[in-house]
Amino acid sequence: MKDMKSTTGLSLDRRQFLKAGAASAAGVMAYGLPLSQAIWAAQGKVLRARSYADINKLDPGFYQNAYNVDVMNCIYSKLLHYQPGTQWGTELQAAESVEQVDPTHIRFRLKKGIMFTDGYGEMTAEDAKFSFERIIEHNSPIAGDWGPLDHVEVEDDYTGVIVLKSPFVPLWNITLPYGAGHIVSKKAVLEVTENGGDFGMKPPCFSGPYVLSDWRPNQVVILTRNPEWNGPKPGFDEIHILPIGDPKTAETAYRAGDIDFTHVSLSSLEQIKAEPLPDTALEERPSLYYVYVGMNTDHPKLKDINVRRAVQWAINVPQLLEVGYFGQADVATGMIAPGLVGHRDQALVPPEGDLEKARQYLAEAGAEGLTLHIDVLNESKFTTMAEMLQAQLGQVGITLEIDVQDPGSFWTIGMESEGQRWKDMQLIIQRFSMVPDPYYATTFFTCDQVGEWNWERFCSKRFDKLNAEAVAITDESKRAKMYHEMQDIMENSGAYRFLTHEGAPYIYRESIMTPATRPDGRPLYRFYDVTSA
Amino acid sequence: MWFYLARRLLLAVAIVMLAVTLLFVMIHAVPGDPAAVILGPRATPEQIAQIHEKMGLDDPLPLQIVNFFVDVTRGDMGTDVFTQRPVSQIVLGQMPYTITLILSAITWATLVGIPLGCYSAIRRNSLIDKFVGVISVSAIAIPSFVMAIYALLIFAVWLGWLPAIGAGGDGFWDTLSHLILPAFAVGVGWVGYIARIVRASMLEVLGETHIRMARAFGLPERRIVFRYALTLAILPTVTVLGVGMAHLLSAAVFAEVVFARPGLGALIVHAVDTRNYPIVMGTVLVTTALFVISTTVADLINAALDPRVREGL
Repeated sequence: MKDMKSTTGLSLDRRQFLKAGAASAAGVMAYGLPLSQAIWAAQGKVLRARSYADINKLDPGFYQNAYNVDVMNCIYSKLLHYQPGTQWGTELQAAESVEQVDPTHIRFRLKKGIMFTDGYGEMTAEDAKFSFERIIEHNSPIAGDWGPLDHVEVEDDYTGVIVLKSPFVPLWNITLPYGAGHIVSKKAVLEVTENGGDFGMKPPCFSGPYVLSDWRPNQVVILTRNPEWNGPKPGFDEIHILPIGDPKTAETAYRAGDIDFTHVSLSSLEQIKAEPLPDTALEERPSLYYVYVGMNTDHPKLKDINVRRAVQWAINVPQLLEVGYFGQADVATGMIAPGLVGHRDQALVPPEGDLEKARQYLAEAGAEGLTLHIDVLNESKFTTMAEMLQAQLGQVGITLEIDVQDPGSFWTIGMESEGQRWKDMQLIIQRFSMVPDPYYATTFFTCDQVGEWNWERFCSKRFDKLNAEAVAITDESKRAKMYHEMQDIMENSGAYRFLTHEGAPYIYRESIMTPATRPDGRPLYRFYDVTSA
Repeated sequence: MWFYLARRLLLAVAIVMLAVTLLFVMIHAVPGDPAAVILGPRATPEQIAQIHEKMGLDDPLPLQIVNFFVDVTRGDMGTDVFTQRPVSQIVLGQMPYTITLILSAITWATLVGIPLGCYSAIRRNSLIDKFVGVISVSAIAIPSFVMAIYALLIFAVWLGWLPAIGAGGDGFWDTLSHLILPAFAVGVGWVGYIARIVRASMLEVLGETHIRMARAFGLPERRIVFRYALTLAILPTVTVLGVGMAHLLSAAVFAEVVFARPGLGALIVHAVDTRNYPIVMGTVLVTTALFVISTTVADLINAALDPRVREGL
C-alpha cells in the first residue's frame, strides 16, 4: 500500500532491511515467511492513528476525556452523532427520529435491528432509558451533561421520551451526540456490575461498527469490525489507535510511516507548510480550547479593579501568541470559539492592548512598582508566554515572577478543598477544554464555582442569571446575545484577558484515507474512509 | 553463603521499605489531588470526597503507609483509581517492556564495551587505543536523549529501516525491530563507560605478579588475557553494572517517552503528573526491588568469579 522508496528516496526500505537482518541473524530467512505479515499489519485496510493519551475509561456513563470518547464513538451507538465536516451539526445515528415535543420533552424512535454483541439482543428504548438515567442515579461526574433530566418514559420497544425538569438546550449539542449519549445494554451492564454502575474498562458488549478486540496498555488500542453490525459499513477493517503523548514523537512516527493520521503541534505547522511531506494532506481546524490570563480578584494585590485592568491593557496578545504558538494561533475574542453560538466578533480590550492606558490604570490604583507572580503549567508554550508577559508587564512597571508547576500541582492551585494555595494565587495562564456548547464554558465561572474551578473568584449575579437562563433559550440569536453579554461581564471585571483557542491542525496520508473529523479536528474514526486506488 | 543471602534479603526488604516510605512522604508533601484529576472539572465536592475516602486519603499518612505495606504482604498493591484495574496487573504488565529494554541495552553495551576495553589495554597507547578512548569518552559525554533523537531521525525517518515508536508484539522480529533503536540509545553511553572501566582494570591486572608469572611460564597470550586477567578485571565492571541498574531505569524513562514505548518509566511519569498515588507506589516498589535484586546478583557474580570475595561472604 505504501511505497517506502517514495518517502525516503533510498533503495533499501525498512521491510527489506528487517528481512535482511532477520536472514543474516537466523540464516533461515525466505521470502514469504510470516515475518512480513507480523511486522507490517498496515498492509490491510488498517487505520493507524495517534491519540495523545491512552484510554482509561470506556463506560460512557462515567466518561472522562475526549480520547476515551473517540473510542466509544466506534464501539457504541447513540441517538445522534456530530456530522463530519467544518460546520457544527448533528445527524441521526441509532435514532430513526428525534423531536423536541415541547421544551421539556424529547421523543426519540430507535432504528430497528441495532444489535448488541455477545447475544445481548436488539437495542431498545429500555436500554436508552437505563443508559441515560444511570448517569443521574449513580451521581456520575458527568451528570451535568444531562442537566435537568428527570426520567425517560418508554412508550414501546423502540420509542421513548426524555423528560426534563426544565428546558436544556445543550442536550442537543453536547449530550446526545457526545459521550453521555451512548446507549449501553441494560442486561449486559447489570450482569457485570452490582447495580448498573461504572463498568470502567470492561465493556460487556458493543453496539457500534467496531469492537474492542485488543488493548495493550500504553501501546495500542485495536478495534476490529463488529460482525453483528448491520449499519453503514465503515471504511477500515481495523483501527489501531496508538497513544503517543509527545506531539513531536507523533510527528516523527508519522514521518517514519508508523502512523497515518496525527494532529501536529502548532510549532511544527510552519515547517510542514514550507516543506510539505510526501503523500500528505494538512488540514487546519480551529480548536475549542480556550486559553486566558486569569487574575485572582480576591488577592489583596489584585482587589483593585484598576490593577487588573492595568494588567489587561498591558498584555499584547499577538506578541504572546507569536512566542507561545509560533504565530500559528489566532487571537481569541472570548471563551467561546468561532463557529459556536455565543462567539464574539471582538473583545472589549483590543488584542494589542495599550501601554499608556495600562499605566493610567496603575496610577489610578496607586500601584506603581507592583510585584506579582504568575502560575503556569510546565509546558514550553506557557512558560514562553509567561516570559513574554514578564517583559510586557515590565514595560508598565509591574515586576512579574514566574512559578512553573507540574500538572498534579497546577490543577489544584485554586481549589479551596486543596488547602490555602488559592489565597496566594495571583495571575495564572489557564487552558480549558471545551465541548460545542457555550454553556460548558460559562458554567465554570458562576459564583458557586468560586474556589472550585472558578479560580479567579469572579462573581456576578447578572452573569449567573444569564447563565441559568441561556440553557433554556432555543432561539440561537437570542442565546448568542446572552453569551456575548456574559463574556463582556467577565472581561469588564478585569479578571480575564482572553488569548487564543489554539488550533487543531492534522496531517494524514492521502493515499490511504479520507478522514472525517468534527469541525474542531477531533477524529470520528467510524466515518474514515479508505482512499480508492 | 546462605547466611549472606538471608542477610541480603533482609537488607533488601529494608531498602525497599525505606525507599517507598520516602517517596510516599515526598509525593504527599507536594500539592496535588488525584480526585480532581480523576473526576475532572465537573466533579462536585461530594464526589471528590468519595474518591478521597475510597483511596484512603483521609487517613493519617503513617496509617496510609502501614496499610500499603500490609496490603503488599497480601499481594495487593491497590487499585488504579482511573481504570479500576489492580495496580499489580498494571505494573507487572509494563515491567517486561522495561526489563527487556534495560537488559538489551546493557547486553549489547557489555558485548561491545568489554572487547574494546580489553583491546585498548592490550594495545596500550597505540593509535587504536587512542581512537577507542576518544570514541568511549564521546559516547559517555553525548546525552542519551540526543542520541535517541538522532538515531530515530536517521534510522526510522530518513532510512526507514526501523520503526519509530511502540514496542511491537506481533512476533519475535517485530518486537526486536522495535527494540533496536531504544536499546541503542540507552546503551550507547554504557559502551564507552564499560570500555574505560575494563581498560583501566585490565592495565592494573596485567601488571600483577601472577600475570607476569604466567607469561614467564610461556602460557599463550590469549589464555593469559581471557582466563587470568579478564576474570579479575571484570569485577569492577560487574559491580558498576549492578549499581547501574538505577541509572538504566532512569534512562528507560526518556527512551519510553521518545520512542512512545510502554514501560515502567512512562507509567511512573504519567502517574506522578496525575498524582495517581497507587500506581506511583506500586511502580517504585517494583523498581526499587529490581535495583536491589540487580546489586545482589552483581555481588553473587563477583563472588563466583573471585575466591577472595567468596571467602568474605
